[in-house]
Amino acid sequence: MRQDSGMGQLNTRQIEMHLKSALDTLTPNVLDRIDLSVPQDKLSGLERQSQAAILRLERRMRGLVAAAAACVCLTVMGGGAFHYHLENRQVESVIGIDVNPSIELSINRRERVLEAKALNADADEIISDMDLEGVDLNVAVNAVVGSMVTHGYLDDLDNAILVTVSNDSVRKARELRASVVGDIERTLKENQVEAVVYDQQVIEDETIQEISRQYGISYGKAYFLKELIDQNRVLSMEDMEELSAMTMEQIARRIAESSYELGELADQATEPETEPSAHETTAPNTTPEETSTEETASEEAQSSEEPSSETLETAETTTVSETTRASREELTGYETLIDFVDCEDGSVYVYFRDRVSWKNPSVVVRDGQGNTYAAMITDTSKNDCYFEVSGLEGGESYTFVLGGLSLSGDGTSVTVKGYFDVPEIAEGAADDEPDGDETEENGVSEPETWDQPDSDGEDITTRDAASEEDMSSEEETTKASEEETAISGGE
Amino acid sequence: MGNEELLRQVGMGNREAFCQLYHNTDRTVYSFILSIIKNPQDAEEVMQETYLKIWTSASAYQSQGKPLAWIFTIARNLCYMRFREQRRQADMGLDELTGDEVGVLCLPLENMTDAIVLKSALEILKEDERQIVLLHASAGLKHREIAAELGMPLATVLSKYNRAVKKLKQYLREE
Repeated sequence: MRQDSGMGQLNTRQIEMHLKSALDTLTPNVLDRIDLSVPQDKLSGLERQSQAAILRLERRMRGLVAAAAACVCLTVMGGGAFHYHLENRQVESVIGIDVNPSIELSINRRERVLEAKALNADADEIISDMDLEGVDLNVAVNAVVGSMVTHGYLDDLDNAILVTVSNDSVRKARELRASVVGDIERTLKENQVEAVVYDQQVIEDETIQEISRQYGISYGKAYFLKELIDQNRVLSMEDMEELSAMTMEQIARRIAESSYELGELADQATEPETEPSAHETTAPNTTPEETSTEETASEEAQSSEEPSSETLETAETTTVSETTRASREELTGYETLIDFVDCEDGSVYVYFRDRVSWKNPSVVVRDGQGNTYAAMITDTSKNDCYFEVSGLEGGESYTFVLGGLSLSGDGTSVTVKGYFDVPEIAEGAADDEPDGDETEENGVSEPETWDQPDSDGEDITTRDAASEEDMSSEEETTKASEEETAISGGE
Repeated sequence: MGNEELLRQVGMGNREAFCQLYHNTDRTVYSFILSIIKNPQDAEEVMQETYLKIWTSASAYQSQGKPLAWIFTIARNLCYMRFREQRRQADMGLDELTGDEVGVLCLPLENMTDAIVLKSALEILKEDERQIVLLHASAGLKHREIAAELGMPLATVLSKYNRAVKKLKQYLREE
């Protein structure tokens, strides 16, 4: 081994390259050995699949990990549709679940699912591989919610679920409501997912049915939105079109942002603004491998970095440090859109909290002195984007401004600022530079980036106070506590 | 044509689609299998079994937009079946290696560094780390794709990846 002098100095990219080369060489071509004359299974396996699917789902749900708390509200409807079959086949209640997918579960008196209906394409995706007939309601609810988590409709941020229960008897409805809420809460907790859960009481109403038909949304959602519109003077039926196209998550956000009244729905749970604290507590926990200096360096870098990014908005000046801090208030307001940022070998990966769409994506990267770096977006998706930057130095912090995004459901193009750090021992610019030991940026950037959006969003005002800080101070002060107090205390 | 559509076509008996799907996915699938089985020869056999099963069972694939995840499930199950078989044979007195013991890993590679790096990865990393590293490094899957296909949160994938790479670097430095 020692004969190969390059071995001890492999950086991430080189390791990746060697693995790639090894696997490219090793991958055999077995295509010729596959006998395609072997008959294919035709759909007879479908039933087997469904059972297996439910089991798989349940197993997977237990294994899934995310973050959060959830509130689920159930809506109980009176006077649902009844089909008169044998007692056990009589639909007693209908449970509606809306997130973005809309699903309706019709259950019998013994709370077994008689029919599971997908009301839109997303819902199809959720329940298509499940056979929920005959399944107990709580199992079905768990499966549905679990499937939503798996398919990404409930992610680890800002989810909202609307639950609607319909039953003739108010008492029964109340019972169902409690039990389904409990189920959903449990499932969400198991998956460590947070969600705002709306709870609505609906009754059979022609107008609502018409709205539901006209806008192609579930009865529950129609009822919810109508209620919202009724309760808030600033809204009118004209808004129905826009609202009906929004996901529950977007609706929840709109409600929060605009402080809408919810009327009867007001007894819904608080929103998952606990994320920042969750992030902050996890960060320190994930630092066994990294030195605290790295983390704090990034934290302060974040705080001192904010200012320089302002220059992108305001006029270019040479006195970056001053003007940027002064104009810190001029954030685009979308900074909290960023969930986390990971920087690896000159590639920066930005993950968003909310779905975004792109048109003419662009990125500008600057350092603390306002110098620009050549950067190019290499990939975008509705959740994240990648861009590559060259010329980065280890131990430095950089800001970036992404342009050309728009939030889903929102047509306007916005720019988003964020920042990232390149760790002390540079793995960025040069290919053959040796890597540092514990101060590996790869391990480090994560806890850092968990912190980033939070301090980004939260500490803006406190950073204002830290106007004395210089980029150089990042190098000088390596103790976390010092910087922290400086940041929060305004020195 | 995307893999999703190809798989659907395969379900309908389209052999060309199958071949195309094979070429689109072979490296990814092999990397995945190797990360579990660790032995290239065994991995090759499982790979063959996997694609055969894809052919025979494609009609059962329920379109969910994640064809790779389905394929991975098949591959994973075949790997575990193999382990069970091997363990059973071992219990019966036959001296077989399970997938957990590496023994002497023979990698028919000409490039020494390639071999050393891969061998290290297979030997010192845990299964999920191996999986993520091999899928990312070799098959070029992006972290978020890996997260989607393996059903893990993205942050977990990134975290494991970083940790794995760090372990590798450390190990290789000390070698």
